[in-house]
Amino acid sequence: MAIVQTKNLSKVYNPDTVPVHALRDVSISIEKGEFTSIVGPSGSGKTTLLNMLGGLDKPSSGSVWVNGKEITSMKESDLIDFRLYNIGFVFQHYNLIPVFTAHENVSFIMLLQNRSKKEIKERADELLEEVGLGDRKNARPVEMSGGQQQRVAVARALASEPKFILADEPTANLDSTSAMNLLDIMSRMNREQNVTFVFSTHDQRVIDRARRVITMVDGAIHKDEYQNVEETKTG
Amino acid sequence: MGYAMKTYLKLAWRNIWRNKRRTMITISAIVFAVMIAIIMQSVNRGSYEVMIDRMVSFNTGYVQIQDYRYKEESSLDNSFRYDDELREKVLNSDSRIDHIAPRIETFMLAANHMSTRGSIVFGKNPEKEKQFNDIENYLTEGRLFEMNEESAVIARGLANRLQLSVSDTLVLIGQGRFGMSASGLFEIVGILDHPVRQLNDNGVFMALDTAQYLLSADGYITGLIIAPRQERQTTAVASSLTDDLDGMELAVYTWPELLPELLELMEMDLATPRLLTFVLYVVIGFGFLGTILTMTLERMKEFGILLSVGMQRLKLAMVLFIEMLFISILGVVIGMAAAWLILVLIDPIVLTGDAAQAVIDMGYDPIIPMSFAADQFYRQGLFVFLIAVAVFIFPLLKISRLNILDAARA
Repeated sequence: MAIVQTKNLSKVYNPDTVPVHALRDVSISIEKGEFTSIVGPSGSGKTTLLNMLGGLDKPSSGSVWVNGKEITSMKESDLIDFRLYNIGFVFQHYNLIPVFTAHENVSFIMLLQNRSKKEIKERADELLEEVGLGDRKNARPVEMSGGQQQRVAVARALASEPKFILADEPTANLDSTSAMNLLDIMSRMNREQNVTFVFSTHDQRVIDRARRVITMVDGAIHKDEYQNVEETKTG
Repeated sequence: MGYAMKTYLKLAWRNIWRNKRRTMITISAIVFAVMIAIIMQSVNRGSYEVMIDRMVSFNTGYVQIQDYRYKEESSLDNSFRYDDELREKVLNSDSRIDHIAPRIETFMLAANHMSTRGSIVFGKNPEKEKQFNDIENYLTEGRLFEMNEESAVIARGLANRLQLSVSDTLVLIGQGRFGMSASGLFEIVGILDHPVRQLNDNGVFMALDTAQYLLSADGYITGLIIAPRQERQTTAVASSLTDDLDGMELAVYTWPELLPELLELMEMDLATPRLLTFVLYVVIGFGFLGTILTMTLERMKEFGILLSVGMQRLKLAMVLFIEMLFISILGVVIGMAAAWLILVLIDPIVLTGDAAQAVIDMGYDPIIPMSFAADQFYRQGLFVFLIAVAVFIFPLLKISRLNILDAARA
């Protein structure tokens, strides 16, 4: 069964004035364990599609299904809860809670899920170890580099044990080493833990590591192809 | 407290210190408002509290039982019979009653060998009265009367006007119960500086049974003074007594019902500081709003992200409200502590020179005591809380209308 699926998804901004077709009849299906990049030039609809997949935006027509549930017709409060348990987010600008430490940032999502203190602590420790920040767990975002912050963001996204993780341009603000390091971590989690990742990206390094590349042009899917990826470890 | 709530509190606490300077300025403004409001009210209330305290302990009592007609027509004809049965009934009415004292009170003419003055004659049981006040300490000459003694203690003002002193004879002329003639000669055994100004001008005090005999009112009293164990039990005790004495043609009053003029005067005097406090809080309220406005608007993106990752709007609003509460609580607590400290340091303000003399001439001590009444402290906390709730409407609206994508892109 597809983890996430869209059926004839369209999005038109300003339908009554100057209509802008951000998405045109997009139908895709992403299976568990995929490592997918959504690529395309600026304005091609990558971020809009990602927002639709994450339930952050409503389509003009069509539907989005996550783990067999249609999310496009959900009430907002239900959708927030649905996101909490099913979808992980990694943002371009990391977007950690600035007053929380790395450990607290990762814990916070689990706290929203009402997990026990012991479980939260153990899993946050484990995830920070996995992203290589076991020794930085008490650092606040301002005390960390961009790469470190983005790794915390990945750990935070994984903390809720989501069905899939949406990453919007995750490497856009990172230097080359940090970007490759982050990609290594995400590839490893995909490979070892079968975590599903969906990226929107311009970054060729990300595209090169993706096993599936969906290319968008003018709001429509231009190409959807699988590629062989040679697993390499860098950094 | 649960782990989740602890985390929300931690988040709110750290958020308010993200901009230390701004938070400190806001807290300082609240501290200033609370402090000034408390001090203004304390100064105004202090003198009234002394007056009220004296009136309650030396005159009305916290609760008083009277014949139901006496308040309208304060005549001996409206006295009531006080016997062991009534005493037991009152004492058993409520376990919070600490002690009681019967009194008889009437207007009479007091005279020396040459002149006459109007006076208020009180018949009291000296032993029971001691439980209510320390009147003995106000004796400047002689001693207090005893039961069954044909003697009187008179107030300093009356003594001066009639030029009487201890061992002189006081003549009392008036009317007893149901028009009976009442007159008698009494040896003055003591003179006191009565703390209640009106009573210092015309008070005559004698044993209850002596007064009852003089007024042809054996076994009758005009008021039964009651003290609850604690002041705050006044209303509850009065309520119990009202229920128990139902159908006995008796009325139960609390001290505010017996001193309405004094309370009204105090309320009128407090109007000015209250108005100033209101203006002060309006100004502070706008300052508070400014802080919250900035704190909210500069974090819209963060709010959008939190909603994206699964935080419900209600929880987000709760964290913001806790932030406002932290600022309010800090401001109120520090403001209260500062006001209390200042009041302790300046209490009482001792008047000197002409001002002091003017106050002494009016029959008062030349001091301005401060009030430490708890309500004027916690009321400021309540006002600031109400301001916080009002100010909170802005972030609440912002959060409820927040578009996640717009906010996340901000």
